[in-house]
Amino acid sequence: MALERGETTQFRQERLAEIRSQREAGRKVIGYLCLYAPVELIQASGAIPVRLSLGGHEAEIAGTKYLRSDACTFCKSCLGNFENDPLYALVDAVVVANTCDMMRRLPESIMRHFRKPVLEVYVPRTAEALPHRLSEFRRQLELLRGGLGGITGQMAEDDGLRAAVASYNSIRQGLRAIDELRLADAPRVSESRMLALAALSWRLSPEQAGLVLSEAGPAASDPGEAAGRRRPRLMLGGSMLAEDDLWLVELIERRADIVVDVLCTGGRSFAEDVPETEDPLDGLTRFYYGRIPCMHRRPNDAFYDYARRLARERRVDGFVYKTLLYCDAYSFEAKRLKQALGLPMLHLDTDYSYENREQVRTRVEAFLEML
Amino acid sequence: MSQAGRTGQIPKFRDPVPGRVTFDRWLELFERVPDELIERYHYYGNGDAWSKYLFPPQTFAIYGARHLRRLKFDNSLAALRMWGFVQNETERLFRARQIGKRVVATMGDLGAVPVIVNSFPDCVAFYPDCIWWTPFVTESKVLLDAAAELGIGDATCFSRAALGAFAKHSYFPDPELVIASTGASCDDYSGVEQLAASFASDVLWVEEPVRRECRMSMPECRATVSGTVYEVSTRNFLVKEFERVVGRMEQLTGYNLSDDELRAGVRRANRARRLVSRLRELAYARPVFPAIEMMVIEFGNLHYYSDMDEWVRVLEHLLATVEERVSRRQYVLDEDALRLVWITPPADPLLLTYVEDHGARIVGTEYVINQALELMDEAKPPLEAIAESFLAASLIGSSRARADAAIRQARERKAEGVIISGILGGSHCAMESRLIAGYVKAELNLPVLEFDVAPPAREIDRQLQTRIDAFLELLRGRR
Repeated sequence: MALERGETTQFRQERLAEIRSQREAGRKVIGYLCLYAPVELIQASGAIPVRLSLGGHEAEIAGTKYLRSDACTFCKSCLGNFENDPLYALVDAVVVANTCDMMRRLPESIMRHFRKPVLEVYVPRTAEALPHRLSEFRRQLELLRGGLGGITGQMAEDDGLRAAVASYNSIRQGLRAIDELRLADAPRVSESRMLALAALSWRLSPEQAGLVLSEAGPAASDPGEAAGRRRPRLMLGGSMLAEDDLWLVELIERRADIVVDVLCTGGRSFAEDVPETEDPLDGLTRFYYGRIPCMHRRPNDAFYDYARRLARERRVDGFVYKTLLYCDAYSFEAKRLKQALGLPMLHLDTDYSYENREQVRTRVEAFLEML
Repeated sequence: MSQAGRTGQIPKFRDPVPGRVTFDRWLELFERVPDELIERYHYYGNGDAWSKYLFPPQTFAIYGARHLRRLKFDNSLAALRMWGFVQNETERLFRARQIGKRVVATMGDLGAVPVIVNSFPDCVAFYPDCIWWTPFVTESKVLLDAAAELGIGDATCFSRAALGAFAKHSYFPDPELVIASTGASCDDYSGVEQLAASFASDVLWVEEPVRRECRMSMPECRATVSGTVYEVSTRNFLVKEFERVVGRMEQLTGYNLSDDELRAGVRRANRARRLVSRLRELAYARPVFPAIEMMVIEFGNLHYYSDMDEWVRVLEHLLATVEERVSRRQYVLDEDALRLVWITPPADPLLLTYVEDHGARIVGTEYVINQALELMDEAKPPLEAIAESFLAASLIGSSRARADAAIRQARERKAEGVIISGILGGSHCAMESRLIAGYVKAELNLPVLEFDVAPPAREIDRQLQTRIDAFLELLRGRR
């Protein structure tokens, strides 16, 4: 089937070379950290948007030079990656959506230690879409549009924005179409493949991503070895699952099928489309303010509703909830979530170190045996 | 001595020579206070026996505040009165419910919403946030364990005690409304609010926007009374949020609040803020008042310990005492003590006693409550004035801004060192402490001691004692 791990690596390397060459030709590279960052605005400003979603143990250790050990694992590794990763080195500026507290405070460290300009977008934490909140958020997007224009020399015009909205909606639709293959009793696409596809789609240009998805879909539609198989059907959720966390997913998939996830690097990144409105900024405002919420939004009932609905639709038997150490937004909710979903749940609270992997393996295996 | 209490003839009482005293000595001092004087101090403007609050310190220790036995206190009547008032808050809140007042929990904003709530007749605002001191004062992990049962374990801010208190239903009456502010503040407390919401009958979520960096030269920007620069649109956004608070309070009380009443509420709150500002000015410039009482005073600006009018009278009494000491040059600490600025309030008040016992004094603080210390502009529409003062908040801005606030005070008071106390797993501590320490070291060339406050215990952790001792020794060596 298309897009095995080797191919993903190849795509990434080719994309890295391409980004480097486009940057040398004068195009700006804008990194972003979170799915609340409006990628369409970056694209329409003429920059190359790159989601910075790497974790990594070595990067986390490097990050402790800048942040205390009790800072969010992802934030530490993000700083470490700015020190060591070739893609991060190409980034000319970073768009940070002020979501959780640690993410909100990360820009100051990026600016101070790596001298990268950071454009901040304040996403209100309160979820109720009141008119003044939407207006304020729209103002934030307008400021971002101006800031990006200042960096790239190209202000995102409405036509360009409409085109970017259509492009990224098309990626979301492509990912959703593949994801829905997991509705079947014998899921035809694995979670590790979905996460890899999602990460790759947000890394490639929209045109390239479209091509990859158009090939990946039909390839996955063949039931192949999954036909007739009945294994525990799981949902995966929790803090941001970095690209380096696939080992955990693969570990679970040896004995179970992950048929859905509620991750910001997975299903939530393509679950909905930006409405195509006459004024494209209106559509972006409504979409990014009101998208299926991250757990940090208040109240976060909509996240619970979403998770419950997916668990029902995908006939889920159990839930693996993977939080990052010191990720308050997700770890505080573990008990409540277990009660709310009424499913057997395995809560793993870890950093990116290798040392705990055997413990995690034992716990995963015990959980799956129980199921 | 000077003192401010109720009107009428004040019984004669003279404070002892100013100093810091132990719990035992404090009790002896209480015994010298004439009964007539004790009778003068009541909360909620009530003359009945149940509303007295000047109890012997022992009472609070017996009822659970065991840590008081290890602290040192200012020996003035005003301080004794203040402690009685503060320690009495739980009882006061239950009384409030009994006498028909509406009890409203204000969470997370640290300073603005109580100004609105207290402007409504017969409404009392309180901060569950301040329960973060309770595990320390009571030397008990009961509340922290209760929070853990609900999902918030060890590696996070002690403010999780507030969740335990909601679950226990005995630290304050179940509030009729919870006004939960969240946004650009701290995750730990936002998480506490989310889980506490399940114990509340009615919750109003209020957004605290981020304060974007901007300069006065930009047309969008204005400055607060003390000079914090903010964007007008952010202030206008906050006004809208506060209009929702007014609306919900009107729904709750069935009372339509007029602009004049809100303006009067702003004036009352400003009265407290002015008194605290003057106390800070005097007590941090000279060693006339201990740090522990000053911390209690600064935090009083958040919610006036659930009785604004009486808290103002307590403050007046404190200020009169401090002014008299200044005029007589009567100090409670060595004039030559090492001068420290303290950043982030220590959850364990014993730390303040400890550094004072070891030859230091606090000359400046950045306790993340700047918004409560800021005066509100009485010439402006009241919600605009409240919103503007909130925009001075420490937690909604950058670490650079917090560092600048500490640097200003350190320069002004010729501080010799800076202490940053934090909490393991506290979201803003983890992200800010190193940055703030870096800014302070770079600009002032001052030693900075950064540590996390250990969980509640009888004594300060030995390792931390050694670190503080070594730090103070280092500062002495630099003289």
